[in-house]
Amino acid sequence: MANKAKAKRRSWRSSRRPLWQSALLYAIVVFWCFIVLFPFYWLGTTSVKRPIDVSRGPKYIPYRDFQPIPDHWDEMFGSQRESTERHFRNSLISAIGSTILSVIIGAMAGYGLSRFRYFWGRLGWDNDNIAFWIISQRFLPPAIFIVPFLLLYNFFGLVDTYPGLILAYTMFNIPFAVWIMRDFFDGLPVDLEESARVDGATRWQAFMRIVLPLSAPGLVAVAIFSFIFAWNEYLFALMLTNYQAITMPVLIAGQNNTRGIEWWFISALTLMAVVPVIIMGLLLERFITRGLTAGAVKG
Amino acid sequence: MNTVREDRIMKRVFLSPAVIILLALSIFPLLWSLGISFTDMQRGGSTIARQAAAEGIESGVGFLGLGFELTGRNYQRLLGDTRLHSTVRNTMIYVFFGVCIQYSIGLGLATVLNQPFRGRNIVRVIFLMPMMMTPVAAAYTGRMFFDSNPLRSPLAHFFRELSKALQLENNISIPWFTDLGWAPVAILIIDAWQWIPFMTLILLAGMQAIPEDIYEAARVDGANVAQIFARITLPILLPISLTVILIRGLEIFKIIDVIVVTTGGGPGSATESLTLYIFEQALSNGNYGYASAIAYVLLVLVIIFATIFLATGRRLGGLRTD
Repeated sequence: MANKAKAKRRSWRSSRRPLWQSALLYAIVVFWCFIVLFPFYWLGTTSVKRPIDVSRGPKYIPYRDFQPIPDHWDEMFGSQRESTERHFRNSLISAIGSTILSVIIGAMAGYGLSRFRYFWGRLGWDNDNIAFWIISQRFLPPAIFIVPFLLLYNFFGLVDTYPGLILAYTMFNIPFAVWIMRDFFDGLPVDLEESARVDGATRWQAFMRIVLPLSAPGLVAVAIFSFIFAWNEYLFALMLTNYQAITMPVLIAGQNNTRGIEWWFISALTLMAVVPVIIMGLLLERFITRGLTAGAVKG
Repeated sequence: MNTVREDRIMKRVFLSPAVIILLALSIFPLLWSLGISFTDMQRGGSTIARQAAAEGIESGVGFLGLGFELTGRNYQRLLGDTRLHSTVRNTMIYVFFGVCIQYSIGLGLATVLNQPFRGRNIVRVIFLMPMMMTPVAAAYTGRMFFDSNPLRSPLAHFFRELSKALQLENNISIPWFTDLGWAPVAILIIDAWQWIPFMTLILLAGMQAIPEDIYEAARVDGANVAQIFARITLPILLPISLTVILIRGLEIFKIIDVIVVTTGGGPGSATESLTLYIFEQALSNGNYGYASAIAYVLLVLVIIFATIFLATGRRLGGLRTD
């Protein structure tokens, strides 16, 4: 890969870097790692502190400043288990459902915009206009959808259901999915599909058997983005759910008024909510970068 | 099957699902809420309809907002609504300062990460972590840190120890969420903590796409580090910078979750954003018509912001708009 070669050249150059520059570099890196990691550390320790250690603190180091207790995690998986599981499951189902839909629909539309020529006569729009229209939908303020969605969802009985959340998140994710996938397919040579079609494959077969397997990195990038968006979304989850389908962010935000603020419990919940995203992010970090570069570097 | 005919069908098949969903769930609600903004629709009907019902007159109140009396009253009301004006101002502050802070720090960190050093890969992953937290959770975390009680918050504790060490007469104690001036700052910091990684990630990708030869040539010509940064890196990064600023700016226009969790819009309405105000008008007060009118104010602001940006980008020759 070109990147590797470049990295090699740069690491050779680094041996000529003056000492003060290296020191400054590491100072910034360490400082920013602290800024990023300390809140996570604080959440972790708070989740195992006794309430008294939270309010009569601040206690920093477990076993020295305070005695860690597993009570809050026990509570989350014990007496609160039903609630924790339900909200976690709701988040998971709506995020995965909308991710699958966004990836499929996004890949199809991206492929269409990359391989065919469209012309919407009445509007005078060609492929570029259509693509711009699609991506522009991503940037509409969600506030504008509040009232119509309330009315629509009430009318169709979609309030507090999985299909309702999945549909809303798919709508929000499609523009980005189409955008990334179109750029991705633009960079994919057409020869392979064409030779498959000469051999008698239909367009659909060529798409399913040849194009999609080759676009794994793009599809993964789209999937990660869609998943993270749906997993973390708050406004629509709050608006469109009452009880059955409430997701993790709404559960966490709601801790404010149910039993007073129990920081230790919120910390445990927060860490729970972060786990799936971190796992995805860590496993697929290189895909994120590559997928983003596909969409963004062209600018 | 004839491949030309097949393609003519298939090209519709590929694009239709996306277009249909966007038409049904984006364009239709958009137009509908424009319609609603000209009515006095409220939760459970309109005031006019209820009056009519009370007087026993048949009125044609329909599901789609048909039959509501058309009125420009919502838009008149906008002009005199001081709470709205302060939310507009707050939103602009969040967007402007948010983008400035996040872009400059993001650029700095991207520059750092673009240098070779030991452990760079793991550091890159660490830098991305805030982005993975639910904004609601980030906001709670922020609340723990910006608590002004040094017994609870490590930050307040740090400030107290710092003032002791410096032997200041008054302890440094910042009333983060209760002070009119500091509350927006706290929200800006929380949002920045979470989204600087996004800036860093994309700017870094942009920097890594710059070919090394350009730098070599500049170095041969005797340019120093600052000159190289100002004359080569920044101009090449201009298009991607504009894109990333545009994306973040538009995202900050939507800010609501951090505010709900930290201040709930207060003190007064000092931290309330437009989205939060619209949400409250629609869900707490049930003023569907007025909420839609405010939402259109937000939409107009967003369009103005995006248009100015796209125009600037095109003038500078950078931004790809297709």
